[in-house]
Amino acid sequence: MFNSKNFLFFIAVFIETIFNANGDLFNEELFIKPLPPAHLYTYFQFTTLVNDNLSSEHTYLAPRSLVEVLTRFQVDELHFTLTEGQWRHNHWGYPVLDAAPGAELYAWFSSDVENVDTQWKKLSSTLAGLFCASLNFIEDFNTITPQMALQPTGAIPQNPNITSQLRYASLPREIVCTENLTPWKKLLPCESSRGLSALLNSRMIHNTNYHSIGVHTRKVCSSSDCSVVSLEIKQTVALVYDSKIIRTTDWSFTKLFGQGLPGGCPLASSSKVYVDITTNDTQPFLLSPEPEKVLLSQRGGSETKLALYTIKPENKMTTIGAKYISKKDLVLMKLPPLYFNRYVLGYGKEFGGIVTELTNTFWSSIDVVVLQNAPWWLPIQLSSLRINGEASSEMVLARHYSPGRSRQKPYHLELLLRLPPKSTTKITIDFEFVFLKWQEYPPDANHGFYVGSAIITANLPTARNYTSLPGTASLFESSINASKPWYPAVFRTNGVMVSLPTPDFSMPYNVICLACTVVALAFGPLHNICTKELVLKVVGSSVTLKQKIINLFKKKKE
Amino acid sequence: MGAVVKYVIAGLVRYWLIHTDFWHTLSNRVEIATPLNSWKRLIEGVYLYDQNINPYEGDAFHESPIVLVIFHYLLKHVPYSLPFIFSAMDLLTAYLLYKTSRGFVRIFLNCQEKYLSDVSQESKDMVMTESQLKETSEYVLSVYLFNPYSILNCVGMTTTVLQNMLLAAALCGAAHGYVIISCAFLAFATHQALYPVLLIVPTAMILAEVNKGCNKCSYIKTLLAFVLSWSFVVYISAFIMDGSYNYVYNTYGFILTVPDLKPNIGLFWYFFTEMFEHFRLLFVCAFQINALILYIVPLTLRFKKEPILLVTVLLALSTVFRSYPCVGDVGFYMAFIPMWKHLFTFMQQKFIVACAFIITSALGPTVWHLWIYSGSANANFFFGVTLSFATAQIFLITDLLFAYIKREYTLKNGSSRTIDGKPAKLVLR
Amino acid sequence: MAFTNLMLVFIFNLLYLSLSSGIEIPEEFQKSNHTNNWAVLVDTSRFWFNYRHVANVLSIYRSVKRLGIPDSQIILMISDDMACNPRNPRPATIFNSAHEQINVYGDDVEVDYRGYEVSVENFIRLLTGRVPPDTPRSKQLLTDEGSNILIYLTGHGGDGFLKFQDSEEVTSQELADALEQMWQKKRYNEIFFIIDTCQASSMYEKFYSPNILATASSLVGEDSLSHHVDSAIGVYIIDRYTYYVLEFLENVHPNSKRTMSEFLAVCPKSACLSTVGVRKDLFNRDPSKVPITDFFGSVRPVILTTDPINIVETPKRKKKTENKTKVQVKRDYVPQFPMHLVQVT
Repeated sequence: MFNSKNFLFFIAVFIETIFNANGDLFNEELFIKPLPPAHLYTYFQFTTLVNDNLSSEHTYLAPRSLVEVLTRFQVDELHFTLTEGQWRHNHWGYPVLDAAPGAELYAWFSSDVENVDTQWKKLSSTLAGLFCASLNFIEDFNTITPQMALQPTGAIPQNPNITSQLRYASLPREIVCTENLTPWKKLLPCESSRGLSALLNSRMIHNTNYHSIGVHTRKVCSSSDCSVVSLEIKQTVALVYDSKIIRTTDWSFTKLFGQGLPGGCPLASSSKVYVDITTNDTQPFLLSPEPEKVLLSQRGGSETKLALYTIKPENKMTTIGAKYISKKDLVLMKLPPLYFNRYVLGYGKEFGGIVTELTNTFWSSIDVVVLQNAPWWLPIQLSSLRINGEASSEMVLARHYSPGRSRQKPYHLELLLRLPPKSTTKITIDFEFVFLKWQEYPPDANHGFYVGSAIITANLPTARNYTSLPGTASLFESSINASKPWYPAVFRTNGVMVSLPTPDFSMPYNVICLACTVVALAFGPLHNICTKELVLKVVGSSVTLKQKIINLFKKKKE
Repeated sequence: MGAVVKYVIAGLVRYWLIHTDFWHTLSNRVEIATPLNSWKRLIEGVYLYDQNINPYEGDAFHESPIVLVIFHYLLKHVPYSLPFIFSAMDLLTAYLLYKTSRGFVRIFLNCQEKYLSDVSQESKDMVMTESQLKETSEYVLSVYLFNPYSILNCVGMTTTVLQNMLLAAALCGAAHGYVIISCAFLAFATHQALYPVLLIVPTAMILAEVNKGCNKCSYIKTLLAFVLSWSFVVYISAFIMDGSYNYVYNTYGFILTVPDLKPNIGLFWYFFTEMFEHFRLLFVCAFQINALILYIVPLTLRFKKEPILLVTVLLALSTVFRSYPCVGDVGFYMAFIPMWKHLFTFMQQKFIVACAFIITSALGPTVWHLWIYSGSANANFFFGVTLSFATAQIFLITDLLFAYIKREYTLKNGSSRTIDGKPAKLVLR
Repeated sequence: MAFTNLMLVFIFNLLYLSLSSGIEIPEEFQKSNHTNNWAVLVDTSRFWFNYRHVANVLSIYRSVKRLGIPDSQIILMISDDMACNPRNPRPATIFNSAHEQINVYGDDVEVDYRGYEVSVENFIRLLTGRVPPDTPRSKQLLTDEGSNILIYLTGHGGDGFLKFQDSEEVTSQELADALEQMWQKKRYNEIFFIIDTCQASSMYEKFYSPNILATASSLVGEDSLSHHVDSAIGVYIIDRYTYYVLEFLENVHPNSKRTMSEFLAVCPKSACLSTVGVRKDLFNRDPSKVPITDFFGSVRPVILTTDPINIVETPKRKKKTENKTKVQVKRDYVPQFPMHLVQVT
C-alpha cells in the first residue's frame, strides 16, 4: 500500500505547499556587538510575517499554536519575555529590545474585546502552558494598565482609548531555563535543526550574564494606506557573554554556542549575521572569515560599522569569530545619553523607600515616562513622593496614580518627566511593609520578595548607543541609516528585593488557643458576675495542705 | 490655680514632644498608630484627596470622610499650628473629662441617696461624702493629663485624639443632660471608629437619670437622636464623597473584616495572621460579636443602677477587644479609673495589674525592636507581650467589677465575714 | 492548492481506515483495556541541598520519554530550579552521578508545574481532574479508563505523609482518597505508583482502589538514603533507589521483554541500604507477566495488515465559505511616546 514512491511524492507535495505559501516570510538575523571591555552582546531575531488572511486553522510558517492563541483571545499585540540577569545600561549601552528580569507579559486586546480582564487571565494561563512558565500566577493583583509608558508598536485602529485594552504584568521571581527554551524553539519553522536557531544550545546560553528570550507579535501595515494588515511574529534571544566565563575575549561561534552554524534555515527568505565592528577602531580585532560587506550606518549623529554575512541554506558548517589583535587595558566607555539605577532605602522590616535615579548625560533635556509598579504587599505613599528631595517639581509634566488595594490591585505610579541636561534626578517614594497571613507567604518566605522593575520610556534625541529597530520596520537591516527626529525606547530598571516580616509558621494552633484563652479570661468572670450573686459561705477551719492530702487518701480508701 | 498649672505643664509636655526628634518615631510606633488612626495615613489620604484621587479607592486611608475634609482644610490653611491643635484637643478632652466626672459625681450621689435605706447600719461609714467624691474629679483630670498613654497618643498625632475628644464631649453632654449634644458627638465618634456605638446604652441610661421624668420616653428620645445623627454623618460623608457610599467598605468594612494584620496592642493581628483560611470568617464574626454585642446586654441588666460603671467597663472592654486598639484608647478609659477610688480597697489584683502594665509597656517596644530591626526575636515575642497586656487589662476590668459587687454586698450586709461566728468567705453562686 | 488538500485527505483517510475496519482483532488484545500511557512525576522539595530529588525525578522523566511517552502525556512537577540555579556550576544540566555520565535534564525538557505551582492542592487537583477553568492542556491529566498511569513521587517524607516544599504535606489517606476518586471517575486503567522518600511504604498502605501496583524505596521506620556526593556541586547528587532504577531503565528498550517483577527487584537491600517495599494485592495481574513498557513506555498493540481495503466513498471535507466582507479598519502606527503630553518647543 505505502510504497516508497508514494511517500516521496507526498513529501514533495508537502514541501512544495510550504514554499508556495503565498507570502509567509521568515527571516532570521543575528546581531553581534562587542561591549568592551569584557562583554559580548548577541541578539537573535526570527521574524515571521503572515501575509495571508489570518486563520487559526491553517498556518504556513507561523507557529499554529501561537496564532491560535492570538486569534482566539483577539490579541492585537503581544509582548512576552523571559529574562535572567540584569541588563547594565550604563556599561553596555542599550539592547535592541529591553526586558524585565523574570517573566514579563503585556498585550493589547482588539477593541472588540469587552471583558479585557477575563481574556487577559485566559491568555496568561494559556501562555503558561505554551511556554512552561508560571504565568498563571498573573492575577488582578499584579496586573496594571499603563497609561503613558507603553504604546502599541504595531498598526492600530484609530482608537483614542487604546490604553484600556492594554494589560501588563511582570513576575520578577520567574526562573528561566531549558524548559522555557524548548517550547520557544518549537515555534520556529526550522526548530533547532537548521538555521541560526541551531546555535541556541541551552547549556551555552544559560552560561551567560544575561539571557532573555522573547516573543513579540504585532500587526504591521501591508498596504500603503494601511487598510490591510498582516501579523508579524518576532522571536528574539538576547545574550550577554562574559569573557570571564568563556575565559577569553576572543570569540567564535564554537566558543559561544558550542558548535558552528550548519547553514541557514531552508525556509527562511534570508539568514544574515551582523557584527558591529565600530569598536574595532579602539580595540582592533580580526574577523574570520572576512565579512561579505561592511555597511556604514549614519543614524542620529552616531556612526556604526556593521560587518554583514549572508548565510545560505546550502552552506557548510561555518563559524564566525573574532580575534583581538592588541589589548588595551583601559577602555574609555562612552556613557549612553540616559541611564538609571534603582535601590531600596531603610533598614528593619517596618518602613522603607524606593529610589529611582535617572541620569541624563546628554546636552539637552530628555523626556521620560517612569512607571513604578509596587505590589499590594508593598504599599507606597504618594504623599512621600519626592523628586530630588522636593515634593513638587517642575520636571513633572504629567502624572498618573492608581492606588493599590490589598489582595486586589497593585500600586501604580507613572510620571512624565523632563530631565534637565547633564543632571541626575532622584525619585524617592516611601513604602510600608505589610504583614501577610501565614498561608500567603511562599514556602521560602525568608528568601525575600521581588519587586518588579520600573519601566522607563524615553524619547531620546540621539541615537548614541541605540540599536533598536525603527517602529515601522521588521528587519534589522532597516535600522541602517534610519535617522529620525526622536528615538523612542522602553527600558527596564533593575528589580529590587525586600524581605517582609514573617510570623512563626509553626504556631497556628498555639496562637489560636492562646488568643481564645485570653478572650475566655474575660468571658468567664463577666459571665459569673452577671449570672451569679455573692453569698457568704462557711469555710470552716482552714485546712492545711497536709490534711488535704490525708483527706484525699481517706476518700480513696472508702 | 493648681488646675491651670496642670493644664499648662501637660500642654507644654505634649507641645514640646511633638517638636522633638522623638515625634517621628512616636508617630510610627505600632502601639500608638494603627492603620486606622495613624498620622501617616491621614497625610496620605489628605494628599490623595487634594490631588483629586479618591482616597477610598486604594488601601491607604480608613478614616471617615468628615475627618478627611477637616484635616484637608487644616493642612491646607494652618499646617504649622497642627501640633498646637492636637495639644489643645487633648487638653480640651481632659477638661471635658473633668466636667464629666463632676457630672458623674452628682449622679453618683443621687443614686447613693436613693438606695441609702438599703445600707446596713455597720456600713454607714462607707457611704461616700460629697467632698470625698469631689476630689476624684481632680484625679480624673490629673490621670488624663499625665498618663503616659494619653501623652504618647497625643504626641503621635493620631486621630484617636479627636476620637477621645468626641467621646469625652458625648459623655460630658450626657452627664449634664444634653440629649442632642451627647448623641451628636457619640454618633460622630461611632462614625469614626464604630466601637463607641456600645456607649449608646449607658448614655441613654445616664440621660434618663439626669433628665428626670419618663424613663422610656427618654430612652426612645436618645436612641432616635443617636440614629438620626448617625445617619446624618453617614449621609454627610457620602455627600463629601460625591454621593458614593463606597467609603463604608474602607471604614466600617476595614474595622470589621480586619484585612490589615499589622501588629498592634490588640488580640486580632496575630490571631488572624495564623488563622486557617476557611475558619477566618467564623472567627472574625466571633471576635467582633465579642467586642460589639456579647457583653452589652448582660452587663446592662446587671449594672442598671450604675450607668457610670457601665460606661467605664464598656469603654475598657471595647478597647481590649477592638480590632485596631492603640494606647490612646487605653489612656482614655484609664482616666475613669480614679472615679472608682472607693473600690480600690476591695480590689485584689491591683499590684499584679500594675506590674503587668509596667512590664508589658517596657517589653513591648523592646521585643518589637528585636523582631523587626535586629532580627533576633520573632513574632511570638511581641504577641506574648500584647497577650499579657490584654490579660492585664482584663484583670483590671474584672477586678473592678468584683470589687464593685463586693462593696455592694458589704454596704447591704455589713463588713463582717462570719456566719454564726464561724469564718466564712464571699463566693459567687 | 486544492489538489494538495485533496491528496492529503485521501492519504489520511487511507491510513485511518486501514487501522480501524475490516480487521479481526486477536483475542489477547481485547482483554486489555490499556490504550494509552501517562506519567505524573513529582519532585516535592525546594532548596539547593535537595538537588538529588530533582535528579531523581528527571531520571524517571528521561526514561519514560526515551521509552516513548510523549511530553504531552508526561506531567512533570519540579519544585525548584536546580538546573539554572546560580549555585550550579554547570548551568542547564543535572547529572545522575558525579562522573557526569548522563545529563538527565537534557536539551529537550518541558516542566509543567514548577516552583510555587507544586503544591498539594495542585497535585490533588491534577490527579482528580478538578483543575480550574482555563488550565492549559499541558497542566491537565487527560486520562481515561484506558490509561496506564505511572506516578512517581520523590521528596522528604515521614510515616504517613510527604512534605511539599517544606511548608505543607499530603497524607497517605488524602492520596488514597484521590486515587479512589480517580478510579470512580474512570480516570485510569492501571496505576504503577513509585515513591522514593523516607518511610516511603507508609504512603501506599492506605490505598484501597483496584489495579494499583505500588513500590517504595523504603519500609516504614527506614530512611531512604542518597547515593553519593558531588564535591564540585557540594550536595548529594541522587538517591540510591532511583540511581539503580535509572541504571536498570537505561538498558530497557521500547521492544525489550523486561517485566515489572524485574523492576520491582531492581534495588536489593545491599545496594539500597533500605528495603524496597512492594504492594501487589490491589493489582490483578502477575507482575512477572506484565511488560515494563506497560507503564514506562507507550507501546501499544499494533497489527499490520497486508489485505487490500476497498474505499467506497471519500468523505469530502466541507469547505467553510465564510463571508469575509469585513469592513477594513484604517490602522496607523502611533508614536512610541506620549507626545501629546509634551509641549514641543
